[in-house]
Amino acid sequence: MASNILDNIDMSRLGELLQQARKKCGVTQADAAKIIDAARTTIVAIEKGERRLKPNELIKLARAYGKSISDFVQSRPVIQPFEVQFRAAYRRSEDEEAQINPSISHLEELCRNYLELEEIMDAPLPRTYPQEYEVTNMPIEAAAESIAIAERQRLGLGDSPIAHLRAILEQSVGLRIFYVKMPSKYSEVYSFDEKLGGCMAINANHPEERRRWSLAHGYLHFLAHRRKPVVDFDGQYQRLPESERLAEAFPKYFLMPTSSLLKQFNDMHRSHGKFTPTNLFTLAHYYGVSVSALVYRLEDMGLLPSGTWDRLRDRGLKIRKVQQELGLEAIMQRTDVTPIHYQHLAIEALDQGLITEGRFANFLDVDRLEARRIAEVLREHSSGTLEDITNLDLRLA
Amino acid sequence: MQVKHSHIILDACCVLNLCASGNFLSILKTIPAQSIITEVVKQQELKTLQSLTVEDNDGAIQLESAIQQELILIVDFESALEEQTFVNYVFEMGDDGESATFAIASHRRWAVATDDKKAISFFKKEEPDLQIFSSLEIIKHWSEVTNSSSRELKNTLSAIRVKARYLPSKKHPLFSWWQLAMADE
Repeated sequence: MASNILDNIDMSRLGELLQQARKKCGVTQADAAKIIDAARTTIVAIEKGERRLKPNELIKLARAYGKSISDFVQSRPVIQPFEVQFRAAYRRSEDEEAQINPSISHLEELCRNYLELEEIMDAPLPRTYPQEYEVTNMPIEAAAESIAIAERQRLGLGDSPIAHLRAILEQSVGLRIFYVKMPSKYSEVYSFDEKLGGCMAINANHPEERRRWSLAHGYLHFLAHRRKPVVDFDGQYQRLPESERLAEAFPKYFLMPTSSLLKQFNDMHRSHGKFTPTNLFTLAHYYGVSVSALVYRLEDMGLLPSGTWDRLRDRGLKIRKVQQELGLEAIMQRTDVTPIHYQHLAIEALDQGLITEGRFANFLDVDRLEARRIAEVLREHSSGTLEDITNLDLRLA
Repeated sequence: MQVKHSHIILDACCVLNLCASGNFLSILKTIPAQSIITEVVKQQELKTLQSLTVEDNDGAIQLESAIQQELILIVDFESALEEQTFVNYVFEMGDDGESATFAIASHRRWAVATDDKKAISFFKKEEPDLQIFSSLEIIKHWSEVTNSSSRELKNTLSAIRVKARYLPSKKHPLFSWWQLAMADE
């Protein structure tokens, strides 16, 4: 390996990456020039892709910017920058941009990693995408319920509660879903492009009931407004646009189907002769939704008088306390940042010697020690045994 | 364990394993060559080592003691050729730590200690004449030189297993030795 890789690399791409890294850590072009003992015009030329870098210069700049060399020279899947998609989609204030941009960049990086793992393992994520639903000029509530019923049927969910919503959307639909920490007012970020398909970041800081609601909300955007990127946060609109009203309406029908909820409500009412707050908490837990979401749904259906939620709240209802007293445990879900398919691609790549342990840790966004812990868990889950049978084709065994 | 080279560079996996052993300094003393870590590995893995608890210290403190006693030397690139090889290896492996370790070993004709499957296969192809050692070979050598009791050996291997979460592959040449040493007395 005698030749210099920097002689053959795409200079304009390298220049662009160097410029992004420099700006991210607040270094000026003049300061960057000093780092490599060159004139400012040299940095300008490097960042424009007009001057080739020497290995020594790249190492010095990478160290000064706090980056790895692999951030600059590795050939990675090229995707449309998310920030461009989102900037074009809607206007944000500078404060909002500063709050949400790190999460958008994080989602982009995770999606790029996912594609890279698929390329390494030659295993593209299977997609079973439905046609985009046509909703123009349809009444919102009817459209939301009709899509929810159609999707439940398509996914073979019947009208039962959806226990593993994230897994279903990841594995049965083929969406890329990441749990990313965001400021609390943000719920979800949804993006789509032809190469990646549907991608979502859900706020990892929210309780599971809310995350499930955000998942369903983001799923509607995928189903009905597929190519429109969305950042969902509280207080975003003075007047909700139609697309958002549909996305707001969909989760209640998808997570709490009318037929099932009616039956559950009637059964409880019949056996107790009344419908109590205990029934309410038990039912909310059964569907994996918040108590308030269930109350609003029952109010909509005319099963509880309107204003019930406000009255409960005015009485000082302590939701978590009541849930604990009733022994309703928190809903158990995978809360890992990355999807399970992503993790399995990473562990297979590691065990087959296609990536190093350091790179495996980078893919999982953890340090080497935590990466080893996750690797052990994944190996146990994938086969119950060790690496020598993970490649076994059970159809031929 | 016969090291044909004057120096042996430990990669990040190996440093983590040896640091977790509880006998890091003692093990380094028995390696029949000067132990080395690259500046890249040291910088990248400091955070990991800090999260590794060994006795009353963290792994980073263990490493600092080894550096102070010159049982380990930290090296960085010394020539344009080393830097070029490093960047080329990163392009191939996508891992700065392994690439720095192997680039320096390649130019200075030093041995390498690593347990990384991808890095081993890459380096064997690039530099078939340089020796590659595993963490287990180093531990086995230490146990023989210091005449460790089976209890002491088991404790050392267990610490690596539990604290560094290292489990050798079934295909590792010393897997049977490791199993035997880890078995109940």
